[in-house]
Amino acid sequence: MLDLVQNTVDGIAAGAAYALLAIGFTLIFGVMRRLNIAFGPSIMVGVFLGAWVHAQWSAGLVGAAVATFIGALIASAYIERLSFAAIRGDAALASMASSFALWMQLEQGVALAFPGRTTAFPGLPALPDLETAGLFLRGDDIMILAVAGIVLIALHRLIYHSHFGLEMRALADNPEAARVAQVNTKRVAFLTFCLAATVGAVAGVLIAAADGQISPKFGLWATLKGLIAMMIGGLGSLRGALLGGLVLGVVEAQAQWYLGAAAREIIVYGLLFVCLILLPAGLAGVRDTGAARKL
Amino acid sequence: MLKIRDVQTSYGKIAALKGVSLDIEDGGLTSLLGPNGAGKTTLIWTIAGILKAQAGSMKINGEDILGLKAHQIVSKGIVTVPENRLVFPEMSVTDNLIAGAFSRHRDKGGIESDLEDVLTRFPRLRERADQLAGTLSGGEQQMLAVGRALMARPKILLMDEPSTGLAPIIVEEIFEIIGRLRDEGRTIFLVEQNAHMALKYADRFFLLEQGKVTFSGTPGEVDEKEVLERAYLGARKAG
Repeated sequence: MLDLVQNTVDGIAAGAAYALLAIGFTLIFGVMRRLNIAFGPSIMVGVFLGAWVHAQWSAGLVGAAVATFIGALIASAYIERLSFAAIRGDAALASMASSFALWMQLEQGVALAFPGRTTAFPGLPALPDLETAGLFLRGDDIMILAVAGIVLIALHRLIYHSHFGLEMRALADNPEAARVAQVNTKRVAFLTFCLAATVGAVAGVLIAAADGQISPKFGLWATLKGLIAMMIGGLGSLRGALLGGLVLGVVEAQAQWYLGAAAREIIVYGLLFVCLILLPAGLAGVRDTGAARKL
Repeated sequence: MLKIRDVQTSYGKIAALKGVSLDIEDGGLTSLLGPNGAGKTTLIWTIAGILKAQAGSMKINGEDILGLKAHQIVSKGIVTVPENRLVFPEMSVTDNLIAGAFSRHRDKGGIESDLEDVLTRFPRLRERADQLAGTLSGGEQQMLAVGRALMARPKILLMDEPSTGLAPIIVEEIFEIIGRLRDEGRTIFLVEQNAHMALKYADRFFLLEQGKVTFSGTPGEVDEKEVLERAYLGARKAG
């Protein structure tokens, strides 16, 4: 029983990072109605820039984090220009295919620039581990949960209590009406990409710092985790992305503990299939399947 | 006054507007009638900057504004109430209204007082201020669309088929609202299938047939029966 609770606690910390990735996907999908599968790789470019700054000038976590944001923003802006702004809004498949091409390009670019397979990333500041009633909470996990919590609160304020948030929700809800209601749709779409990159970069820094290293595989990994969390939670719903990320983290932790690392992935994809078949609207229960609008 | 001259808009190779010229005079209701497929909605969307015209000019107080982007047109005071309402179904009624004032979002006090005005004008929207717009009835959504347009402080209000898909009794109600706006001295350009209702409230009207203005006048001085016939059927009498 204690194991079960302990796994859940561990899983929630990992899930918080997944949730941030899923939220990044959801912001883009909700507003553009198109999937940017190069989202993970764009974060990967950021963390590699962070690692490079760390290696080059022995920058600490703050310096590496700033470099990560800059790298992720530049890569995201590049993807937005080429795969989204340049392609008609109703050509969802073209955008996805094009973002896949950019994914390969970014991954190859990073692999060429950083020939060593893994690169060191500065670690998180050491917080004391917490232990109560036999439960154990690692200092790193406390840090991840705290940062993710702050990002979520800030994001909530931005989306539901600011002018830009209203414009974003309007565009996600009904693009045609948003145009009529004088939303500069291109600008809002671009800024949404930047926002997603920022949220993703936070996740990237937390994950890379907790691991102390990164590899070019990070892009694939981040896209998979983010996409799975988003689909479990409910396509296009921010609440769903949060929920999906946490569920994914907890299920992974339980599966790993009870069944081992090899079974973990099988369980996760099994969960995805069960969710898609039994709960096509996701855990957050987004109404109607075309609903990219529940931002 | 909005002067539209020789405007041509096409969808790919299909010309929808083949040189439309008309004036929307300040104050009062100008109505555009015409049968299905005549290009009425195309004209509205061209004026609103959502569709691009291939040729022509559109001047407001001497300034040519054809080719400006949709949000720039709105900032010139030309605001559209789109067909089928086009509200934001997953947003609250209040947020829908605030969305109408996007172009001056820093003017918090002004938006607040405009919101109050709109909610006073439409008490039914006040009752439902926190409801999602998608849960409103068709008539209420039309009120919301009009309210949202008023939030933009329009100089010219473009209304595209406000009666579409509404029960006759609701249509009467919507036209009473339009009539009230006209009586307040607002400038309204109304595109309407329901030519009978439109003629009842119009100060001036134009008839659009196959992408061209074929007739214009004031409702009192023309043979209403013939206008109605052409507006519904697009029939041209031989000879």
